[in-house]
Amino acid sequence: MENQIFILVVEDELEVMDALVNDLEEFETHFPIEIANSAAEAEQVVQHIIDSGSTVGLILCDHVLPGKNGVDLLIELQNENKTKDSRKVLVTGQAGLEDTVQAVNKAHLNHYIAKPWSKEALHDVVIQQLTDYVIRRKLNPLPYMSILDAGRLAESLRDNPLTDH
Amino acid sequence: MTTFTKKQWIGLALGLIGLIAPFFFNIEGLSEAGHIGLGIFFLAAVFWMLEPVPIYATSVLVIFLQILLLSKEGLIFSTPTDFYNPDSYTAFIGTLASPIIILFLGGFVLADAAVKYNLDRNLTRILLKPFGDKPKYIVLGLMVVTALLSAFMSNTATTAMMMTVIIPIIARIDKSDPLRIGLALCIPFAANIGGMATPIGTPPNAVVIGTLSNQGINIPFGDWMILATPLVIIVLFLTWLLLLFMFKPSTESIQLDMSGRFNTSGNAVLLYLVFAVTVLLWVSESLHGMKSAIIALIPVVVLSVTKVITKEDIRKLPWEVLWLVAGGISLGISMKNTGLAEWIVTSIEWTSFGTITMIVAFSAVAIIMSNFLSNTVTATLLIPLAVSLATSGIAGEGFNLIIISVVIGMSASLAMVLPISTPPNAIAISTGTLETKNMAKAGFVIGVFGIALVTLYAIFYWPIMLN
Amino acid sequence: MKSGFILNDRKTILRFIQRAIDDNEELKAHVVKLKKGTIVFKQGEKLPFLYLLLEGSAKLTHTRHDGSSLDLVKLEPGHFVGLVAFTTGNASLTTCSVLDDVTALKIEQREFEQYVNDHPRLRHPLQQLMMNNMTDRFLKNVELESRMNSLNKELEKEGEELKNAYQQLEDSHQRLVHQEKMATLGELVAGFAHEVNNPAAALLRSSEALKENFVHSSKNDPLELMFRIGLESEPVSSVDVRNRMLVMQKQFPFVNDRSTVRKLAQMPDKAIEIIDSSRKKIPIDQLIQQFESGKLIHNIKVASERIANLVKSLKSYSRQDNNEADMIDIRLGIQDTILILSNRIKYLDLNLNLGDLPLTCGRMGELNQVWTNIIVNACDVLPKKGHLEISCQFEKPFIKVIISDNGPGIAENIIDRIFEPNFTTKNQGAEFGLGLGLAISNEIIRKHGGKITASNKKEGGAKFEISIPVKNC
Repeated sequence: MENQIFILVVEDELEVMDALVNDLEEFETHFPIEIANSAAEAEQVVQHIIDSGSTVGLILCDHVLPGKNGVDLLIELQNENKTKDSRKVLVTGQAGLEDTVQAVNKAHLNHYIAKPWSKEALHDVVIQQLTDYVIRRKLNPLPYMSILDAGRLAESLRDNPLTDH
Repeated sequence: MTTFTKKQWIGLALGLIGLIAPFFFNIEGLSEAGHIGLGIFFLAAVFWMLEPVPIYATSVLVIFLQILLLSKEGLIFSTPTDFYNPDSYTAFIGTLASPIIILFLGGFVLADAAVKYNLDRNLTRILLKPFGDKPKYIVLGLMVVTALLSAFMSNTATTAMMMTVIIPIIARIDKSDPLRIGLALCIPFAANIGGMATPIGTPPNAVVIGTLSNQGINIPFGDWMILATPLVIIVLFLTWLLLLFMFKPSTESIQLDMSGRFNTSGNAVLLYLVFAVTVLLWVSESLHGMKSAIIALIPVVVLSVTKVITKEDIRKLPWEVLWLVAGGISLGISMKNTGLAEWIVTSIEWTSFGTITMIVAFSAVAIIMSNFLSNTVTATLLIPLAVSLATSGIAGEGFNLIIISVVIGMSASLAMVLPISTPPNAIAISTGTLETKNMAKAGFVIGVFGIALVTLYAIFYWPIMLN
Repeated sequence: MKSGFILNDRKTILRFIQRAIDDNEELKAHVVKLKKGTIVFKQGEKLPFLYLLLEGSAKLTHTRHDGSSLDLVKLEPGHFVGLVAFTTGNASLTTCSVLDDVTALKIEQREFEQYVNDHPRLRHPLQQLMMNNMTDRFLKNVELESRMNSLNKELEKEGEELKNAYQQLEDSHQRLVHQEKMATLGELVAGFAHEVNNPAAALLRSSEALKENFVHSSKNDPLELMFRIGLESEPVSSVDVRNRMLVMQKQFPFVNDRSTVRKLAQMPDKAIEIIDSSRKKIPIDQLIQQFESGKLIHNIKVASERIANLVKSLKSYSRQDNNEADMIDIRLGIQDTILILSNRIKYLDLNLNLGDLPLTCGRMGELNQVWTNIIVNACDVLPKKGHLEISCQFEKPFIKVIISDNGPGIAENIIDRIFEPNFTTKNQGAEFGLGLGLAISNEIIRKHGGKITASNKKEGGAKFEISIPVKNC
């Protein structure tokens, strides 16, 4: 199971986690989902993913978590090389303005989803963020064209063309 | 270091065994150098087929092995023997800067600059306008534009650009409408077909021209187009009919909203000018006699001197394609010089086949091989055989050297059954709008009538043109 | 005072001098008459003369830099005119003008000594009179000084009173605003609660109805069994999910899609057994789907119940429906407050120790604000997993509530001021409209006849003690 791009969901309320993962199921054909109930667990999971030779493409993270909060977790992950490029999204109804500003400035937060979310909006964000990830990491976009933003991926092919052979 | 898959391990082992084995067997009628040549050929063929290393890496490996084992400066043949007059190492290295490589370089620079200044997309916008909003004409328009662009740009880059055009269209079409599949297929097919039209359209053409030029035969840019363009037009037209038949559109009309405007900065205008002048000079080579490779230096020089293309752009050029082609041409040199090609040719009882049978056979083998292998590799492996067959005279009068090379070159481009057949196919399938079976069916039909058309051209049209 | 010799009665002295003048022609010649309105001398002039006023009156006027003039003294018979300038030799500080026709003895400076020597009868009275004049002025000065002082004091006092009045006004304004805010919040909550209760009830009812659609009482149908198990399933933590996913992968090697494996991992063993035994007959996807349906309905139910509970406590927390004093159980208020703040204190280590309390007369809504203020303040300074302890007990006749934490405590230099109005260590912009300050808490407790104190614990952390006397309404 090498070279996979994971989606990491960090949420402490189990029912909410359940609903989130259910809504993300369609991505799992290309992006396996990992879950964690706390920041500490999330860090372990990230380490495990990296150790197995895969990467974390997208982190969806609640703010109010046991122990370290979501924003602090994202800031920490931003400061680590292995997760610097991972796209970071806060999924919360609870982060105050100050926390959010922190997240944007220090964790390079890529998006903010307010609870309650709609499936369409969630999908949209996930698609765009993972597309960004694939393009920024200069990964071969072909395997992802059917599930992510095909237009943008095709556009990226123009900048980093595949060649005839 | 990446880890090898099982297939790659097998490829690595087989290739190395193939390289060494001829040293241990004495093959009658094959010189010592021929044995070595055979070993290198085995290695190249296996490496190119199973890809334990990237195909461009195999190409430079081939050049290196040839210099090491077959050149005058190498380890074995410091003096000529009775059976083998070794080439200087510069002959092998020289393939990296042979005229066809320079021609390609010119093409790359033009295409790269065209992408940079959005010339390709703007041309598409202009050229699609006359095709209206009826789905079938839109498909035709898309195919014509794609073919035209891919004649001067890489097929893959053209496909990628055209995908950005059709993906929004596809998104608006009803999911049950077969037109979606038709649209998604017409682009890679047209790109593959369009690539045949010019020497710089696709690398197999380069292998054909490069190998022929080693035989002292020079095919000017315009002449190639005279040979290839009619075939391209016919195949394109038939493919259009086929796609309409197989994936009948149910939508009445589709709206293309391609907005945008030409870049009118100084650099862009200069590019348009250089593009037009270069293409004109290429096409009119027979009028002024300036070699196409020399013309190819015009865009390279002008665009880099004026900084229309920068250091970063140059770094992004697909250099590995040039290695690939050079390796192919280089392999051809030693196959001929060591007598290997002749030996292979003579060891088969050709006389039992008629000329037509042989053309059909080469075309079919080329299409089948290149469906699974790289088009360039297919051409590289087959053309030396065809060249030997033609020059040895075994195949008889009608078996013209140029014609059989072109047959192989064209056939290599007509392979489009599988997603892995060509990169444009891979792009199309990855959009998720069609299934492999759609592609396989249509690609198979194109392959079959491709063989027929190529044969017909080889018998009726090309001989007339070449005389 | 040695009487007789020191003549401190100006009139008597003047009589002596008058007599001396009458007796002496030389002196008589020095007597001048000045008409009303005559300017005797001007401010800034040097005075060669000294006048002794015998009859009539004059006034001394001082002109200030800004041009305004100030009447200083009214001079009467027996007063010297130009005494200061005369004795110091400096320019006059005042202008002298005649009020009523004046008769005066004009004495030239250079002749003065001689007069005094020549007319011994004059010498003593003049000296006395001069002394008298000086004393007079000095006394006046002292009197002025003390009056000014008392005026200043009065002014200061009035300023202080004004300041206090303003502060009180400001405080009561703030209190009013706060009350207004709480009233609005209360109305809002009441309306909100009503509105939210409806959809919450609809959710709850729908989930029940939906459940019945699935259940057909065929107890042995594996599909229905799966649904029933799903209905009772509890969510599984991510660690358990991960571990069980590995197990499930082994148990169902033919399932290669990760989402399905995850779903299996979240099922209780009972469900797995059913799947294992009946997947030959029924596609595994269908079984899983049934379970998931049950689980989803269960989730809807749990979530809508949570909404209903939250609304209930929000309503009783704000107590807008009952802002009158009432016999209340303070513990209920504390519990409601904790529920309302559950999001803030979710990950604090909360130690709740609510002993038995008698009912007492009070306003629940207001007291809840007190608990809220203190708890929110604690949350702001406590780290995650910080310790918060809330306890209450009855210490006759007081109810005592103690809220303490293990945070950084209150800085000693501000501990005395934290109950003052407008004191804050936070930036402006209180969260949730609740950080309205300990001053209001103080005020509320005071109104209840109680007392609130803050201190630092020896082992670190802040401690708030509130005592409220138990009484009947």
